[in-house]
Amino acid sequence: MTRYAMIMDTRRCIGCHSCTVACKVNNELPVDMIYNPVYTEGPNGVFPNLHMTFYPLICMHCENPPCVGCCPTGASQQSDDGIVWVDSRKCIGCKACIQACPYRARQSNRKTGTVQKCDFCKDRVREGLEPFCVETCHQRARFFGDLADPKDAALALLNCTHSVQLLPELNTNPQVYYIISAGDEG
Amino acid sequence: MRERHNWGWPIACYLFLGGLGGGMIIVSGLADLILMKGELFCLGGLVGGIAIAVGSSLLVFELGRPLQFWRVFSTQRAIMTIGAWMLSLAIFTSFAYFSFWPGFFPWRDFTTLRHLFAGANAVLGFGVCLYTGILLGSLRARTFWNTPILPVLFLVSALSTGIAAQSLLSGMWPAGLTHDRVVGLQALDPVLVIFEVTILFIYVLMMRFSSTSLAARVAQRWLTGSRKWQFWGLVTVGLFAPVVLYVLHSDAVPSLAQALILLGGLVLRFLIVYADDRTELPGEGEYYARLPEPEAPFLTAWE
Repeated sequence: MTRYAMIMDTRRCIGCHSCTVACKVNNELPVDMIYNPVYTEGPNGVFPNLHMTFYPLICMHCENPPCVGCCPTGASQQSDDGIVWVDSRKCIGCKACIQACPYRARQSNRKTGTVQKCDFCKDRVREGLEPFCVETCHQRARFFGDLADPKDAALALLNCTHSVQLLPELNTNPQVYYIISAGDEG
Repeated sequence: MRERHNWGWPIACYLFLGGLGGGMIIVSGLADLILMKGELFCLGGLVGGIAIAVGSSLLVFELGRPLQFWRVFSTQRAIMTIGAWMLSLAIFTSFAYFSFWPGFFPWRDFTTLRHLFAGANAVLGFGVCLYTGILLGSLRARTFWNTPILPVLFLVSALSTGIAAQSLLSGMWPAGLTHDRVVGLQALDPVLVIFEVTILFIYVLMMRFSSTSLAARVAQRWLTGSRKWQFWGLVTVGLFAPVVLYVLHSDAVPSLAQALILLGGLVLRFLIVYADDRTELPGEGEYYARLPEPEAPFLTAWE
């Protein structure tokens, strides 16, 4: 079994938005579509004790994805390796999955009428390459790996740091983990 | 770039028309099976079928790829697929049921077959009224919808609008046919509307005191914020006024109570569809506020 996951080290992320650009250019996304935004939280605190955190967002490739069960055509689906993706040939553009996604990971393509989303660059990772966003990250703030593999470096990192998932209360079990520095939690 | 409402006015109108048509064919089906007075409400089979058909075409029109709509009938177990099957079958059974009444089809005297279609209408109508609330309520991301009370509200509203429409139609065709059963049905309508007010009251109140700040904000928007005219207009004109008119037996303006109930049902669906707020992630609002709208001239110039 394979369980692909991504780990974002917010201690290392400097908010340069290189991943946004790498994703958009290499996946040839329409000009108004972003799979990979980087949100800025803060600055919080009172001078001189300030902090600011960057959250790179992508599809969380949830273990329990709300966007798959609601799809009436089977276009929105989850592979055995955990990757959630959309078969655009089957998509009719009902937007039920956009309504179901708590993470704003899905967008409607205004030209084709279908829904598009991050697919962990599935064609690359199945050839052993890394997703474009991970490859381009010069701060090494993003790690891609297989959590089902006991020898995987990403799993080791996850096990020895304090990480959080986004909106875990929605019972989606997102497979993108955020390593946060003490003080940023919550 | 704001997050747009993914589902807009076509969906709101569909939710209204689907509920209306579903309620009407429940009434016509049960009137035939239980009251043995099918002819009183048979026109509802036709009008209810048309309402469901128009609502379903709005759904298709709203799709990103309308010509691919047939794919919803694939073998998935999604709520939307079940709903699409029920809508299509309900359109067929309601028209088939009505075809027994005009008297020029050769099968007009097969009463058992007609009762079969009446039963199918009642069951499918119930399904059509109920599934939309379950569909919206199952979306975990939309806090204001993700409650068990939403399907109940939709069901009661569908029944009250269906009965209101049936009592508007009564006596139109076959012409001049009136009966105390119609009066009995009209007595049921204010009871349902009082149920509906109660459910709406509980819904908004519980959301106002929800543990999620987002749901509380949406409830506040209905009660005192930007949607207050719609919400209080619905409560006073669309729900309380018809009950008062029914209780007073006011005939000053004929059919006003029923028309107001229909209007209230439509406004309720618009309020709900536009309450699709999602909890924002940290920094999300600021990020998208800096992005241009997709129609910005410098973006469309590339196309």
